[in-house]
Amino acid sequence: MTKRIISLLLAAVLTASFMCACSIDAEEGYPKPTERFFVNDFADIIEEADENEIYSRCASLNDSTTAQVVVVTVEDLNGEEPSDYALNLGREWGVGQKDKDNGIVILLSRDDREVYIAVGGGLEGAMPDSKTGRILDRYGMEYFKADEFSAGLLSVCKAVVNEVYIEYGIEPEESYTPIDSIADSGDEEFSYAGKVAVSWVILIIVVVAYILLFSRRRRGFFWFGGPGSGGFGGGSGGFGGFSGGGGGFSGGGGSFGGGGAGRGF
Amino acid sequence: MKKKGLIILVAVIAVIVVIALSLAGIYNGMVEKQQSVEEAQSTISAQLQRRADLIPNFLSSVKGYTDYEQSTYTAVTEARSAVSKASTVEETQAAEDRLNGAISVWVNAVTEAYPDLKANDQFIAFEDELAGTENRIMQARKDYNAVAKEYNVSIKKFPRNIFASLFGFEKADYFESTDAAESVPQVSFE
Repeated sequence: MTKRIISLLLAAVLTASFMCACSIDAEEGYPKPTERFFVNDFADIIEEADENEIYSRCASLNDSTTAQVVVVTVEDLNGEEPSDYALNLGREWGVGQKDKDNGIVILLSRDDREVYIAVGGGLEGAMPDSKTGRILDRYGMEYFKADEFSAGLLSVCKAVVNEVYIEYGIEPEESYTPIDSIADSGDEEFSYAGKVAVSWVILIIVVVAYILLFSRRRRGFFWFGGPGSGGFGGGSGGFGGFSGGGGGFSGGGGSFGGGGAGRGF
Repeated sequence: MKKKGLIILVAVIAVIVVIALSLAGIYNGMVEKQQSVEEAQSTISAQLQRRADLIPNFLSSVKGYTDYEQSTYTAVTEARSAVSKASTVEETQAAEDRLNGAISVWVNAVTEAYPDLKANDQFIAFEDELAGTENRIMQARKDYNAVAKEYNVSIKKFPRNIFASLFGFEKADYFESTDAAESVPQVSFE
C-alpha cells in the first residue's frame, strides 16, 4: 500500500516537473496568423480586392511549389528591428516547409514606416538580399512613399511570387519581367547589343541546322529555346483558377536565418 | 537452489543492461547537443566568410571611383587578416567586431567622398548584401547561444555532469552581445 502511494507521489512530481519545464519558453508579442495565413492585414491597410488577389496568388504558389509567401501588416513593431520582427514572426508561424525553409515574409509596419522582406534559407538563391532590395525599390517604394500601402504590397507580392516561380522552373506571369533581366544602368546598352548579337548567331545556326537536318529528313526541334530574351509567346503558367474561400493553410515549419532586405519610407 | 542462482544472475544482467542502455542514451544525447553546437558555430563561420567575400565585390563596384579612401581600406585588410589568425571564440569575436567596424568606417568614408555612389545600383546591391549578412551573423550567433545554453545546461545537471567530466564534454563558450562594433574608434580621413 505505502509502496503504491510512494510511486503515485513520484509520478505526480515527475509530471509536475515536466510541465514546469515546458511552460518556460512561451513566446510573447507576435500576433497569431489569421485564417487566410498568406495575407494578414493586422494594420487594416489592404483593400479587400487586393487582399483577395494576394491570397489567391500566394495560395496557388503554395499549391504548385510548396513555397509560402506571407504578407503581414502591423501597426507598429513594438520597438523591434523590422528584420528581427519579420524573422521571428516567420519562424514562429513556420512559414515555408520544414527542411526546405522556402518561406518569405513581406512585413510592413504602418507607424514605423518600414517594410522588410525576410527570406528563408531555401529561397536565398532565388532572392538574394540585393535582389530583394531591388524588388522593393522597383516595385514598392513609389507606392509606399505615397501611402498607397495596398497597391504597393500587391505589386511587391506579385514580383516576389513571380521570382519564386522562376526559381522553381515555372513560367512566371506573362507581363512580368524578371528583375535579373532588367540591366543595371550603364552597361544596359552593351548587354543589349550583346544579346542582339547572340540572338543573330543563334538564329543563323538554327536556320543552317534546319536546312541541313531537313534535307536529311531528320527532326531538329532540339534547337528551339535558345537564350534569347523571351518574346516568344508560349503558354503562361496562368494564375487565377484558385477559388478563395476559407483558410486551410498553415505554416509548414520552415525557418529563417536572417536573409532579406528592408527599406524605410 | 540452482534455479534461484539463475534468477539472480538474470536479474543482475538485466539491471546492468538497463543501466548501460540509459548511460548510452545520456551519452548520445550529450553528443547530439554538442553536434548542434558545432553546427551552429559553422553557420557563424560560413556567414563571416560570406561577409569577407563581399569586400572584393564592393571594390569592383567602386572601381570607377579611382581613389577609394586608401587609408580606411588598410584598416579593413588589417582587420581581415586578424580574423584569419584568431583561434578562440573570444578572439574571433573581437577580430570580427573590429572588421565590422572597419568595414562600416570605410564604406562611410567612400560614400562621403563619392556621394553619387548612393544612387549606384551596384552599390545599393552591396549595401543590401552587407546588411543581410550582418543580420545573418547576428542571428547565427543568437541561435548558437541558444543551443550552447541547452548543451551547457545538459552537461551541468546531475547525473550527466559526472559523465560529462568523465568523457571530456567541455562547456561551450557564448557570444557576448557587445556594442564594440558600434563603439569602434572613428578614423578621421580628412
